[in-house]
Amino acid sequence: MANTEKQVDEAIKREYEAGFVTDIEADTFEPGLNEDVIRRLSAVKGEPEFMVEWRLKAYRRWLEMQEPDWAHVNFPKIDFQNISYYSAPKREEDKPQSLDEVDPELLRTYEKLGIPLHEQEALAGVAVDAVFDSVSVATTFKDQLAEAGVVFCPISEAVHKYPELVQKYLGSVVPHGDNFFAALNSAVFSDGSFVYIPKGVRCPLELSTYFRINAANTGQFERTLIVADEGSYVSYLEGCTAPMRDENQLHAAVVELVALDDAQIKYSTVQNWYPGDEEGKGGIFNFVTKRGMAHNRAKISWTQVETGSAVTWKYPSCVLRGDDSVGEFYSVALTNNWQQADTGTKMVHLGKNTSSTIISKGISAGHSSNAYRGLVKYGPGAGNARNFTQCDSLLIGDTSAAHTFPYIESKNKSAIVEHEATTSKVSDDQMFLCRQRGIDPEQAVSMIVNGFCKEVFKELPMEFAVEAGKLLEVSLEGSVG
Amino acid sequence: MKAAPTLSPAFLQPAGGKLPEPLLTLRQQRGKALVDMPLPTRKTENWKYSSRHLKLTEELANSLPSGRKAGPGLALDHPHILIHNGVVVPEASDFPELDGIEISSFADLDDDTAGQLAERLDNTLDNQAIQMARLNAARFEDGLYIRLKPGAVLEEPLYVIIETDAGASGSAYPRLYVDVGANSQMTLVEEYISSGDDAALVDSVTEFSLGEGANLTSIRLSLEGDSVQHIGATGARLLGHARLDSHTVGFGGPLRRHDLQVRLEQPGAECRLNGVAVSQGKQHYDNHTTIEHVAPHCNSEETYRNIAADESHIVFNGRIHIHEDAQKSAADMNNKNLLLTTGAEIDAKPELEIYADDVTCAHGATIGQLDDRSLFYLVSRGISRQHANTLLTMAFINELVEQIPVEAVRQTTQARLNQFIEQAFEEA
Repeated sequence: MANTEKQVDEAIKREYEAGFVTDIEADTFEPGLNEDVIRRLSAVKGEPEFMVEWRLKAYRRWLEMQEPDWAHVNFPKIDFQNISYYSAPKREEDKPQSLDEVDPELLRTYEKLGIPLHEQEALAGVAVDAVFDSVSVATTFKDQLAEAGVVFCPISEAVHKYPELVQKYLGSVVPHGDNFFAALNSAVFSDGSFVYIPKGVRCPLELSTYFRINAANTGQFERTLIVADEGSYVSYLEGCTAPMRDENQLHAAVVELVALDDAQIKYSTVQNWYPGDEEGKGGIFNFVTKRGMAHNRAKISWTQVETGSAVTWKYPSCVLRGDDSVGEFYSVALTNNWQQADTGTKMVHLGKNTSSTIISKGISAGHSSNAYRGLVKYGPGAGNARNFTQCDSLLIGDTSAAHTFPYIESKNKSAIVEHEATTSKVSDDQMFLCRQRGIDPEQAVSMIVNGFCKEVFKELPMEFAVEAGKLLEVSLEGSVG
Repeated sequence: MKAAPTLSPAFLQPAGGKLPEPLLTLRQQRGKALVDMPLPTRKTENWKYSSRHLKLTEELANSLPSGRKAGPGLALDHPHILIHNGVVVPEASDFPELDGIEISSFADLDDDTAGQLAERLDNTLDNQAIQMARLNAARFEDGLYIRLKPGAVLEEPLYVIIETDAGASGSAYPRLYVDVGANSQMTLVEEYISSGDDAALVDSVTEFSLGEGANLTSIRLSLEGDSVQHIGATGARLLGHARLDSHTVGFGGPLRRHDLQVRLEQPGAECRLNGVAVSQGKQHYDNHTTIEHVAPHCNSEETYRNIAADESHIVFNGRIHIHEDAQKSAADMNNKNLLLTTGAEIDAKPELEIYADDVTCAHGATIGQLDDRSLFYLVSRGISRQHANTLLTMAFINELVEQIPVEAVRQTTQARLNQFIEQAFEEA
């Protein structure tokens, strides 16, 4: 066992591989936030009048709001006046037309992360709208998508090109005053992705965005809006890594999904932002609002593998407004050292015959704290609605903590909800069974934990499976303790 | 931001009663601490679903007068004690005869015992979290003190009838303190009833202190009428190898709230909490339970079942907290709910908070309606739909009611529940 423990220690202590800083001059605002900053931000991006008004409305609302404190996390108070609200990588007058024109320094960053754009171009089926800090600098496979009529572009571009779509759907799922961080995002969001899939179109590619936080002291506020028109289908991949920094960085993104009648959206995330060092110093604060609105017979599926960030506060949700709509949430959340995660989902059933599934696997190691917080709500009109929830926690080491806070609210007699939760460590019985059959402890734990997360992994698209496996390796090896 | 509403000063007027000095002092201190106590609102996590039902109007601030001389009850041929509007009435009580037991009203305690009690009062409750228990501590006019000496065994169940006489508007603050000595055993039945139709508030607190190896079976029936809001708290501390069996059965009202907090403080302590709540019309029932696994090697088992009919509302919030170092804890929580109509609402929140790794904890919760196949099975065998409904619904809660170890209580409770269920399906 001694040998195993050593391996475990090594695995747990492994340093963050994606920790480095790309040296690019950034065009950055002075820290601080007021109406002028928002006007300036909007002006820099040349936004139409309706956007300025919308941002200011959100800002005024935000001023009246209080920072929420109900989540099971602790972190130093954030000084919102000490954050710079705009940072764009230095670039030529015009946006790069091809990869050759992209700053080579930037391309190298992607290479270090193992996601070079060249390779992705070659990897058929993946178009990348890469967000480097705040402004999208490279977009590929546009033509192929354009052929299918799919719009996939930075949201700052969409504001100009498709103002009617943006105006109609922006804030329709997450209103500008939804919560403290969503209001802040609405006021200052810098960029993000916009996707529109026309009626009846099955998106020919899996769309993917890699987010990076780069310039120091810059909060990043992405805004993603995906609209799937009637009968369409899209699978969207989001992955994140961030350079090593000692100062906490704030990340408050908003993702809105609109699935119109018979549409399907599959949204997958691998999140590996800098979690802070072994003493809990540094790391990203990840306060994200993600929500999807499902109309009649539509389906929205969230899959997430959360391994990074010092503090995570994230509840990808589904509003099942239409009859027969379906919501899904599959999550693996791993916390180590001093990481804190309070994550889960909300399934709001409003339509008849709606159904939802929640599978959440939490793994906590070190001094970390991992909480599942979820809501399943049936409105009076949610006849025959169904939900099945399973949230399991695995504890590694006696200093970690795991919590479950499910809220279940039902106002319809024919709706049925089933919720189960378990918390345990890798059981001695399971270990005994494996070892008795000649499997070494390391492998045994690997098998057991793999089985623990299997239900979620199988929901991940192929493109992400490798990355997810790599990220989870730490948890697999660390489970022997 | 609107300032949160605070407790009306009317509730803070000096309370009456003839208490021994140490308890009077304690009550005054608690009263001072309540000035400007914020009242729970929708934003108060543990009152999220119930705050709108809490109506602390000024007319409720007056203490209800006590003066009854004879009491009704579930089983008057058994030893029983009557608490009328918060005050123990020895004339209407029949104390059990056993050397090992000491029973007294707070008013009749000698200064020494009262002093010891004053030090221990509220020890079992997380007072900050239970706002209304703090109000009780500032207003109680009397209380019932029971002490079972080490090794004593009380064979017969002891009935405590807590009657609220709502002949006028006002409030009552009954209080029980039960000290169950090492290796002693008893069964306590608390029966909350009311008479009169005026609006009244009952703010009750019951505390159990269980010594090593002590064994307490607690049965709590909440049966008050429709004009009475009842907010009750029960706290229990268990030392090594002590065991608490708790059975609560509650019928809805304008507001019924029960906070049950159990602390397993030494290895080997265990508890089983069973609860049934039913509501109809526009009634409301809220059960909040907390089990604190403070020490290693403790077990807890919890099963709560609820039935909401018509436009009523039931809340269940169960929390299991495994402290750091409480290794080898085993905790199991199960909550099942039946919604009989679409106008009704059930909110469930089974929480786990775990800070130790070598534990096995699980919880399950369901909300739904009767199983169609079971109904079909019965109806296809010639049983009327209505009867099939009642049978299955009764079976749903009877699993718990059957476990009540006192036959008389079990039968009366079953009869009452049957009546409730038949009524619910008649109207539907």
